[in-house]
Amino acid sequence: MSMISAPAGKVSAGRARHHVSDTELTRSDKVLRGIAALAAIIPTGLLAFIAVIMIVAALPSIIFSGFSFFTGSVFNFGNLYATTTITHNGITAPPHAVYGALPLIIGTLTTSLIALVIAVPISVGGVLMLNEIIPRRIADPLSVFLELLAGIPSVVFGLWGVAVFGPFIAAHVYPAVSALGHIIPFFKGPVGVGQGLLTASLVLAVMIIPIVASTTRELLRRVPILAKEGALALGMTRYETVRVVTIPYIRTGIVAASLLGWARALGETIAVLLIIGDIYSVPTNVFGNTSTISAWIASTLDGALNDVTGSGVHALAELGLLLLAISLITNLAGRLVVRRVAGGVLPVGRGV
Amino acid sequence: MSRPRQSHVRAGIFWGLCGIALFLIIAPAIDIIVSILAHALPVLKPSLLTQTTAGNQLGLQNAILGTLFLSLGVLVVAGTIGVLAGLYLAEFAPPRFASIARFFSEVLAGVPSIVVGYVGYVALVNALGWHYSYIAGVLALSTLILPYIVKTTELAFSSVPRTLREGAIALGMSRAKTIRKVLLPPALPGIVSGLVLALAISTGETAPLIFTANFSDANPAGLFKPVGYLTGVTYQDIQLPGTATQALAYAAAGVTVLLVLLLIFAGRRITLRSRRMVARMDV
Amino acid sequence: MRTALLGGIAVLGTIAVVACGSNSTNQAASQSGTPKPVSTGNPTSAVTLSESGSSLLLPFLQELVAPLTAAYPNITLTPSGGGSGKGISDAIAGNSVMGGTDAYLSPAQFQQNPSIANIPIAVSAQGIWVNVPGVSSLRLSGDVIAKIYQGSITKWNDPAIAALNSGVTLPSTTIMPLVRQGSSGDTFLFTSFLSATSSAWSNGPGAGTSVTWPKVATEGSASSNPGMVAACKAGCIAYIGVSASAAATTAGLLEAQIENKSGAFVTPTPTTIAAAVNAGAFAIPANLALSLIYQSGAQSYPIVNFEYVAVNTTQPSADAALALRTFLAWAIDPNGGSQASFLSAENFIGLKASVPPTVLNAIVAKIDSISS
Repeated sequence: MSMISAPAGKVSAGRARHHVSDTELTRSDKVLRGIAALAAIIPTGLLAFIAVIMIVAALPSIIFSGFSFFTGSVFNFGNLYATTTITHNGITAPPHAVYGALPLIIGTLTTSLIALVIAVPISVGGVLMLNEIIPRRIADPLSVFLELLAGIPSVVFGLWGVAVFGPFIAAHVYPAVSALGHIIPFFKGPVGVGQGLLTASLVLAVMIIPIVASTTRELLRRVPILAKEGALALGMTRYETVRVVTIPYIRTGIVAASLLGWARALGETIAVLLIIGDIYSVPTNVFGNTSTISAWIASTLDGALNDVTGSGVHALAELGLLLLAISLITNLAGRLVVRRVAGGVLPVGRGV
Repeated sequence: MSRPRQSHVRAGIFWGLCGIALFLIIAPAIDIIVSILAHALPVLKPSLLTQTTAGNQLGLQNAILGTLFLSLGVLVVAGTIGVLAGLYLAEFAPPRFASIARFFSEVLAGVPSIVVGYVGYVALVNALGWHYSYIAGVLALSTLILPYIVKTTELAFSSVPRTLREGAIALGMSRAKTIRKVLLPPALPGIVSGLVLALAISTGETAPLIFTANFSDANPAGLFKPVGYLTGVTYQDIQLPGTATQALAYAAAGVTVLLVLLLIFAGRRITLRSRRMVARMDV
Repeated sequence: MRTALLGGIAVLGTIAVVACGSNSTNQAASQSGTPKPVSTGNPTSAVTLSESGSSLLLPFLQELVAPLTAAYPNITLTPSGGGSGKGISDAIAGNSVMGGTDAYLSPAQFQQNPSIANIPIAVSAQGIWVNVPGVSSLRLSGDVIAKIYQGSITKWNDPAIAALNSGVTLPSTTIMPLVRQGSSGDTFLFTSFLSATSSAWSNGPGAGTSVTWPKVATEGSASSNPGMVAACKAGCIAYIGVSASAAATTAGLLEAQIENKSGAFVTPTPTTIAAAVNAGAFAIPANLALSLIYQSGAQSYPIVNFEYVAVNTTQPSADAALALRTFLAWAIDPNGGSQASFLSAENFIGLKASVPPTVLNAIVAKIDSISS
């Protein structure tokens, strides 16, 4: 970054913009500006397009199910081979069709929350170790693993979770967790073969660690060296420096990084689908099989397309709209928490 | 003066925990790579590159080409739009408009990929009648990664030192010329590494592609034809009986990881050059 | 000038009439005896037959890709997966030329889409596999299986199971029922069988490509037939299509003998499958949607099905229609797609070898009705 120019701290990324009210724009300037302006509107346009389609597609289902969509625990597409239909609030559906999304809402929020709670401390702790303790020669190659994790496709995580990770922790770690069941009833249960809520949450955690960790690394780079050196000069150990100088400085940035991780966890589809057991129920213990909104949509969409009344697809659209709403609301809430936009931070990893 | 024992112990516990955390980050990464390689070994032959997934051949030619072509399409679509948008936000936009546009772009980043896939299916595949097609896949992927390119491009331009801009104004250069001659060179590495990052992300996508491009055993055949891709092979073949097809699923996963590795290294070299270049430009 | 133009139109018109006419000569159907030939052949331009759907049918179709193009160089088959539900909806929406499905279309689907047909191309079956420590032979009935999946039978040494297996020592292991995720043709077959044998099941969850499974604490799920094999650990019971039988055997699972309508206990073999087809397929409705589940006959295996291909009988061009007719006719031909080696690799049996002539005629007539 620039060494001399503006006062230290002022040239923070995202603010070094100069206003051209005083310079006139030539014709080619105006053309460029016009094209670029069009490009800048496109993300907003896409978002509006997506929202409109989802709302239009979900509307019949919203009318059909009403409030019971959020409180019901049964999601049944109905008897698709029947020759009659039922009508409710003016919308037709196959007999026995009922769309209650409570297990999915709980599953989505629980898995993402557990994943976040596990991923953030591990990411911050690991990156602190990497940055502060481990010598550069070893730290640099090690950080390749971090970026590699970010790039591994979600379906591979799902495979690994089902074939390797799940059975491994079911055999070695879960019995200990189940023992805790004496204190927390939710932890007690038949351990199973490694499918279920907890395994899915853990794999989700592994998937969002790269995002949070890379972002934290960038944050650590921006901690002013003067402050750290000052702490050392005062005789503080590295641990105390971290506790007193570094962590307060990166606190809001970590919240922003967590938001990125939360967004990925919410939207994760294929990996969760392969691991979570995809059984439609609110789990009674932490090892139980359940599903999330994304996973359920992905696994049942082709079946819903066979509902000639269309109400199956509308119900799934309502689910998608709900997920979109959850994503939006948490995004907004998170931004309120982060006063200053962590603009200098590179987003890493996203996806299915 | 000697340090109280307590703080040594506390520091020790802290760094010990951090060490465990680091191990918990590295170990899964290594385990995944090793698992993939171990399962893919039976089919790792040169014929992977010359044969396709059609019939009983055990090749990945169509999937590799498909992934590369999809990446190319995404570069063209999302790259062009994203870079131009980022440029606008950094150089031209009035602050109010800029913050609104930036906000919505970040909200777009939070749209779940299954929703993008569903909208793509409803709007492109069915309503527009494109059926399962390469172009629908490209558009779906582009929607997903566009926000990232916008953000990294804006950042790249904003990070160019003030002194350079002021020099250009002093010389009376037009905006277009300033951007082209003065701002672009130092910003370019940042832009490119952002593009590389977005490509790495799009290489790993599956769900939106299943609903827009489906899957094809043939090499990429046209804009409006379905196309194959590596993650599709993994997802589909893992559901088939037969040890050979299962091994192919892992082989596809391995090739994907390899491609991502290449992209990561390319991105790192570019970022390194960018840092050196900007440091040298400080006059 | 004008005369030449009219003459040209007349010539074209004659050619068109002759071309359409040659199709209609095949419409004169003989309802008994040998089936009449379908108009087939190599199309003049390259045609790609895209297929999506059933993962049970997919391995069979993948075997057919190379021999098909060898026989008809201008026809290329591109099969993919996604599940029976996807196959049907893709065929209806026109996103794939063919939709592979283990389940026939519903009455409502036929009604909404008059030009869509489901055409059988092979016969398949489904096995019930278990992993019961120490047991090398097991008999089950549909009623017992329904109770297991409803949670009223929870242990392998339950009296109801013991009653069917006198002389076998059953362990007290907890039963772990496995289900398929999403919408699956295998689920359709399994739940159809349970509905046919248990009134509690048919009044409850019923049959379909996806159903609301009763809550059983120990139940697990998988996303595919090999997934079912992999997930079947000690105590489990799973329904697995026969194209994955080899994998199940290699994994050490045991195929249960299922009670058929006549009270015999059988496993799916070419003989027992053919017996079911014989018993069930003496007549077929016009839309070819026929269930072969739980047929009578001492040798009949109870969970047998046609593997269907859902197609639009109105194709966009004459060449497309020709290619589709050719593929389907070739696929059921014992010298073409239904060669013994292709079928036995998937544990399927061929149509011509098992269905009575009237049914075969109906199938062939349906293939022939594909036109532009």
